[in-house]
Amino acid sequence: MTGTETTYAPATFYDGRTPVSHVVSLAVSDDEHLLQISGAGLEPEHYWPLDDIREHRDQALRDGAMFGCRTDGVARLTIHKPETAAAIRAMCPHLSQRDVAPRTYRKVAFWGLGAVASVLLIVLVIIPALANRLAVLIPVEQEVALGRSVMNQLEGLLGGERRGDLTCSSPAGDAALQKMVARLAAQVDSPYDLQVRVLDNGMTNAFAVPGGQVVLFRGLIGDATSPEMVAGVLAHEIGHVVNRDPTRLMLRAAGSAGIMGMLLGDFTGGTAILLVSEQMVSAKYHQGAEEDADSFAHAILADAGLPSAALGEFFGQVREKYGDVEGFLSHLVSHPDLAGRAQRAEAADVTAGDYTPVLSDAEWQALRGICGDTEVESN
Amino acid sequence: MSDASGNSIAVDYRGSPTPLLKLGLATTFLTVVTLGIYRFWARARVRRYFWSALAPGGDGLEYTGTGLEKFLGFLIAVAFLAVYLGLVQLGLFFAGLSLLSEAETQAKALAQMAGQYITLLAVLPLIFYAQYRGRRYILSRTRWRGLRFGVDRAAFGYVWRGMAYTVLSIATLGLLLPLQMFRLEKYKVDRTWFGTGRFEQGGRWWTLYPAAKHVVIGILLIALPGVMMGLRQEPVVWAIVVMALGAVWLPVGIVYYIVHSFRVLTGHKTLNGVIRFTSLPRTGKVIGLYLLGSTAASLIASTVATLLLAIAAGVIAAAFGGMSTPDLDAMIAGELRMDYATGMLAVAGIALFYIVFIVLFSALSMVMIRQPLLAHYAAETTILNTEGLKTITQRAGDKMVEAEGFSDALDVGAGI
Repeated sequence: MTGTETTYAPATFYDGRTPVSHVVSLAVSDDEHLLQISGAGLEPEHYWPLDDIREHRDQALRDGAMFGCRTDGVARLTIHKPETAAAIRAMCPHLSQRDVAPRTYRKVAFWGLGAVASVLLIVLVIIPALANRLAVLIPVEQEVALGRSVMNQLEGLLGGERRGDLTCSSPAGDAALQKMVARLAAQVDSPYDLQVRVLDNGMTNAFAVPGGQVVLFRGLIGDATSPEMVAGVLAHEIGHVVNRDPTRLMLRAAGSAGIMGMLLGDFTGGTAILLVSEQMVSAKYHQGAEEDADSFAHAILADAGLPSAALGEFFGQVREKYGDVEGFLSHLVSHPDLAGRAQRAEAADVTAGDYTPVLSDAEWQALRGICGDTEVESN
Repeated sequence: MSDASGNSIAVDYRGSPTPLLKLGLATTFLTVVTLGIYRFWARARVRRYFWSALAPGGDGLEYTGTGLEKFLGFLIAVAFLAVYLGLVQLGLFFAGLSLLSEAETQAKALAQMAGQYITLLAVLPLIFYAQYRGRRYILSRTRWRGLRFGVDRAAFGYVWRGMAYTVLSIATLGLLLPLQMFRLEKYKVDRTWFGTGRFEQGGRWWTLYPAAKHVVIGILLIALPGVMMGLRQEPVVWAIVVMALGAVWLPVGIVYYIVHSFRVLTGHKTLNGVIRFTSLPRTGKVIGLYLLGSTAASLIASTVATLLLAIAAGVIAAAFGGMSTPDLDAMIAGELRMDYATGMLAVAGIALFYIVFIVLFSALSMVMIRQPLLAHYAAETTILNTEGLKTITQRAGDKMVEAEGFSDALDVGAGI
């Protein structure tokens, strides 16, 4: 339709210099490349190249629309008639193009890297270093109180309705567990009152919380083929307790949780709490802490006259059954060098296969049945 | 619409439920599925809608901030704040641990308290800073009739005043809170511009006290019977009834204070020396709209989420029911995998419920709470002596690279 001038119904225009509303008429120039905006008192007239016209969306205008022009800064054209808005939309090819200021993406990349570096520095370097220092400063009774509240949260997380809900107990099973704990605890000079319990959960897992509480999962006892294997795992966890690893982990998680909350925004309020709890169960201590706990376990097992080879055997067995599974199966098996740890456990064995069993056959069966008649699959 | 005389204008509210609900659902859903990254863009889009719905004299406000700008600002804030906040968080946690056990000596107890306050004080200046800068950003991205709003660069003056008045308010057990509120408001308003026109906060700080009367009554209703029973050393029925009355009176009184202090402050604001404002929102209406909206929004959101969860559970049950029996036996025998599978299903179920509820509730609360409240405030507001607008012209733009990143990072941003 070259040569015909199309005139649209009046619309309102703000030129971006004065707060005066101009009722304007619109026309498209002969060559159809410019939108001419003119009205009484609007000096000078505005010419908007159709390619540069942008629509500003998400406006509460019902059927109307608001337009601006890339090359005419602040000026705004507001249309209240749907037909007029549709006509303008039909003429302008780049309505929804985003005009980003030059070098914006470079700035985003620069500051993005800066933000990542800053977060990594605090989460991987500063907080762990501080956590190590602070962990030693916390008095034992505070660690115990902290451990208690952590246990409450964890039981909730694992599906227990009330406190103590998931803890397994039977007279004979408890006695067997106590016998095992006593034989190991006698070798340890620790300020903590060791409390060991079995949780009714099928995962092959064991972990320690601050203040001397150790938890064995039913699934772990089910997977073990001898009581000495359980004793080995227990000795390893006692090692974490004595080295205050769970407390370090808590401090680290608390420091990181604030950062995570900041990064994720406010739409998930419970993220921070959940993260702290999750870290406890998966208990990803750093490699050094695992090796220290292993060495500790080897030493007290030797002192107690028990074979550390059983711990190594258990590692191998778990690996055979589940492969090198990450994540769900706890720090016991997620450690990359499982085979090396198994070897070191065997090398550290001083019993040469000659030892007083940690539990009698009857006691071992009682421990395996401590969670009631949910009979575990035996290998 | 414009007054015929052209010398005073009412504020229209022209938002409507359906487009806002669509916008709310879309932006919240995108925020959840992008693990929160989209929230900057969501904020910008929702603001654009609310701004344009507020139309003094029929001309909508325009919000020109963008999501990308906010995202960049957030990255800058994180780069600066991550280390600082990590340390503060660790410090607070450590101080919190110390509270778990009783301190053996008086000195130790004092040291514990000091530790906590020092960590809190370490964040307070940042919060005031972020609030001032956030407000400056928002207003610099707000236009009306084509002219920009603007705020002077004066965040540091705001920080130390904010700190000083906070200490004063705490020291006087809240008696001087109106002074703090008035002086900080005046500091901000006197540095705010519309084009070349400057806003000014007039009035006297003590004129805010009448607005606080129901807060005082609420506190007295709770405190006096408490003191009396403390003296008699036994519970008294009527005293407990009076205290219960006070427990309702106090929150209502707080809303009354918010609404009426707003009336007083707005009534004493001027723009360019001549343009004045009146705003007369009503406490009863505000509480009514809020209660009605939040009840309806949470009821609808939880009903829909429960229905969806029930349908999902039904589908899964049907799928399992369709399996042949030996398969099920095998699963039960493989105890561990069964535990794992049911555990994951339960987690997925909770996550589904949570996400659906959050998305629905936040979209519905925009439509059922924020929009009616904003409409009420708009309807009760009038701008007077608008002849004075004619002498106002455009002001230069304000380039703020860090946008409101600090208030986003500290989560102290504006409500909308």
